[in-house]
Amino acid sequence: MWKTILRRLLIMIPQIILLSVLVFILAKSLPGDALTGMLDPSVDPSMLQEQREKLGLNNPWHIQYWDWITKAVQGDFGQSFRFKMPVMDLIGQRINNTIWLSLVTLVLTYLIAIPLGIISGRYHDTWGDRIITGYTYLGFAAPLFIFALLMLWIFGFHFQMFPTGGSVAPGLAPGTFDYMVSKIYHLLLPALSMALITTVSTVQYLRSEIIDIKQKDFVLLARAKGASESRVYTHHILRNSLLPIAAFFGFEITGLIGGTVFIEYIFSYPGMGQLFLNSILIRDFSVVTALVLLYGIASILGSLISDIILGIVDPRIRIK
Amino acid sequence: MDKASRLVEDEVYEPSASPSSWQILWREIKRDKLALASLIFLGIVVAAVYGVSLILDQKQIVTVDLFALYQPPSSKFWLGTDYGGRDVFGQLIIGTRNSLSIGIIVTVLTGVIGILAGLISGYFGGTVDNVAMRVVDFFMILPTLMIVIAFVAAVPKYSVVSFSLIMTAFLWMGIARLIRSKTLQERELEYVKASRTLGSSHLKIMFTQVLPNLSSIIIVTMTLNLAANIGLESGLSFLGFGFPESTPSLGTLVSYARNPQTLEFRWWIWLPASLLILVLMLSINNVGQALKRATDARQRRG
Amino acid sequence: MALLEVRELKVHFPVYGGVFRRVIDRVKAVDGVSLNIEAGQTYGLVGESGSGKTTTGRAIIGLNPVTSGRILFQGEDIGDGMRRSRSRFRRDIQMIFQDPYSSLNPKKRVLDIVAEPLRNFERLSAAEEKRRVQELLAQVGLSAETIHKYPHEFSGGQRQRIGIARAIALKPRLIIADEPVSSLDVSVQAQVLNFMQDIQKELNLTYLFISHDLGIIRHMCDYIGIMYKGRHVEQGTTRDIFENPQHIYTKRLLAAIPDLDPKQREIRHRQRESVRLEYEEAYSRYFDDEGLACDLKPLSTTHFAALPERG
Repeated sequence: MWKTILRRLLIMIPQIILLSVLVFILAKSLPGDALTGMLDPSVDPSMLQEQREKLGLNNPWHIQYWDWITKAVQGDFGQSFRFKMPVMDLIGQRINNTIWLSLVTLVLTYLIAIPLGIISGRYHDTWGDRIITGYTYLGFAAPLFIFALLMLWIFGFHFQMFPTGGSVAPGLAPGTFDYMVSKIYHLLLPALSMALITTVSTVQYLRSEIIDIKQKDFVLLARAKGASESRVYTHHILRNSLLPIAAFFGFEITGLIGGTVFIEYIFSYPGMGQLFLNSILIRDFSVVTALVLLYGIASILGSLISDIILGIVDPRIRIK
Repeated sequence: MDKASRLVEDEVYEPSASPSSWQILWREIKRDKLALASLIFLGIVVAAVYGVSLILDQKQIVTVDLFALYQPPSSKFWLGTDYGGRDVFGQLIIGTRNSLSIGIIVTVLTGVIGILAGLISGYFGGTVDNVAMRVVDFFMILPTLMIVIAFVAAVPKYSVVSFSLIMTAFLWMGIARLIRSKTLQERELEYVKASRTLGSSHLKIMFTQVLPNLSSIIIVTMTLNLAANIGLESGLSFLGFGFPESTPSLGTLVSYARNPQTLEFRWWIWLPASLLILVLMLSINNVGQALKRATDARQRRG
Repeated sequence: MALLEVRELKVHFPVYGGVFRRVIDRVKAVDGVSLNIEAGQTYGLVGESGSGKTTTGRAIIGLNPVTSGRILFQGEDIGDGMRRSRSRFRRDIQMIFQDPYSSLNPKKRVLDIVAEPLRNFERLSAAEEKRRVQELLAQVGLSAETIHKYPHEFSGGQRQRIGIARAIALKPRLIIADEPVSSLDVSVQAQVLNFMQDIQKELNLTYLFISHDLGIIRHMCDYIGIMYKGRHVEQGTTRDIFENPQHIYTKRLLAAIPDLDPKQREIRHRQRESVRLEYEEAYSRYFDDEGLACDLKPLSTTHFAALPERG
């Protein structure tokens, strides 16, 4: 057990190094450098050259990489040239919104997936199952951005049931009850749009898992011993099929990151995804590289958590 | 005896493909009415889109016409015009063609790279395989979307070619992993060892013995990947990081919905493209899932 | 000179473990096996599963790496040669596989399967190749029309015949037959075995016959080697082994052969019991602490057994 966790942790080290190299290559290939943001166009070019030398931008790449990585570890990603503030502060303003969006989406995902999956698996080949399967089919094929756009059009603009942008109504003081309500209200449509799509794979997994386990010998035995149908489900089937699903949430993080970029863009929701896209458009590249690195680390951590939980709940899937 | 000797003389030797996976899969599709309908629909769309785009005057379609801004659908503009007075229907045809083309190109490129990498890694195994698969795992964990966007922004001379290469660079890992795990199973079978004892080289065994046994899985995966790649391309174009605007894609048309006015009141610009993406992906997925069920079932039977 | 001579063959597999997946142990699948096979003879290698008999066969044909020891074919060291695809010994040594289902590529027609070795070693025109394949199929008793069929269209026995046709395509001298009939129906087994004997006479083949079934071994082989945990416990002519077994393990194996005569049941049962008692009592003398057999000692010019030192 501990060996598995240790091995999994060790795998993470090269992953983080690989990620940092990838992001460094990205940072170097993006046009502009740290000075682009700090200096006026009126500055003398020879001064600029001097500054470059001082900042070590003419050093060989491995020394530059080392400088960059030591700073990054301390949370120093340089300045945003557009907002004239440290990149980390800028991200700090947005990160909460994205975390909330992801959390609500994750909760909704499971709230939808578990009942649908159980109904679909337990009563499979009934009309209810067919409708749910049809939905998962549709959701599996539908691209998130199209679906979210349709949701915004129908529920945001046509029925005007939800706000069509922002993370909170203007003019409310943070900390008040109204502020909280408004925040959740603004979150609901984006989160629901994303959850309805991301939940599909979990529903499909749960359904096939339940149908699989239903025919296993230990379930048949429990029935033969006279356990009631609901007891068979709660004690034997769900215990075996829900645990892996709970563990999958770490893997969902990578998907969530991609999803939030689209969702924040479509719903004009001020989170990291929107910041990412805007920064690229205005060529604020120090923000871009910092975000890619953060997203990468979040994904790596997510898969680490899932792998470890899976290893604990299901010894069969332990990595070798 | 007579008959046998006659056979030897008369019959011409004609090399034919191994038991065609295509034939088997085609049989399965014919049985699945939804998949068959999807396939016919796809055939019609592909024929129509590539056919009509030959006739259409592309230059005229992408030229701005200030006297025809935001026209609703009419007999002249079947699907109205956009903010530049450009014919939406024409853009829809060209956009579909471009989206399909890049989807196919990226699917084939990732397919070739993934199959090669997976086959070699799985067949030889060992340290190289271990390291390669760790790297593949790593890239599969990463949020591909953001990285592709960032690299799109980094490319100085951006074009359709560089776009497909960037997409390919980050999308071949999935199929490589799948092919690798299937190859691992396959190489343990005795027919691979038999081929060794018969003097076939590793290369020959990989491509002429193992690969044919993976053909159904490859067809299924490539089909599902095609849908995913079209979705990813249109998504990137929607965000403004796909095709350059001079080359409209389905995602470009959908991206006009970023203007709230357009989203709310000028449905003819973005809705047809959105629905077309939806239906295209649904159809390709229907075909792919039907094929998948077919191969899964055959594997269960052995 | 023996056609095939194996000297002190060892095949060890590494076992990986620990956090870094390093080699922590070795499985000694074959641990010092020597044998001689004379041309035209059939040498039977017997043992329970895991005794290393299959690994021995596979090491000779190059499917398993040889850790140490020498393999001589007609007096020439083939060494690691069989690991390469174009070894010059490749044509001389061929193999018949245990499982007629997985040993034929399901995606290939019979023509392609049987022609594979020909395509690797001989430049034949399509028509010549086809004629050769049809001759080979006729030799194993399959009709010429079968060349366009796929393996799944045949029964297990027929598939094994296809496998044999493929193995004899290059006119080998030695064929390693690894449990060639054990996955076939009993009714078909005898058929295939007799056919293998016919073909042996016809083509002057030498067999290394690997099996766990002593009945089949007795029927097929001139010379027998009995293996246990990667080592020989006894070696001798069929007569030596069946009429004068020396090693307790051999005795126990022989005692386990079922007797079809119900009247003998009681007697056989008592024999089996006494052999079992002898086995348990003498085990520690015949095997060392790791359960490995002693070195072989000559009892006659043909008969060897791993007997403990006297005293």
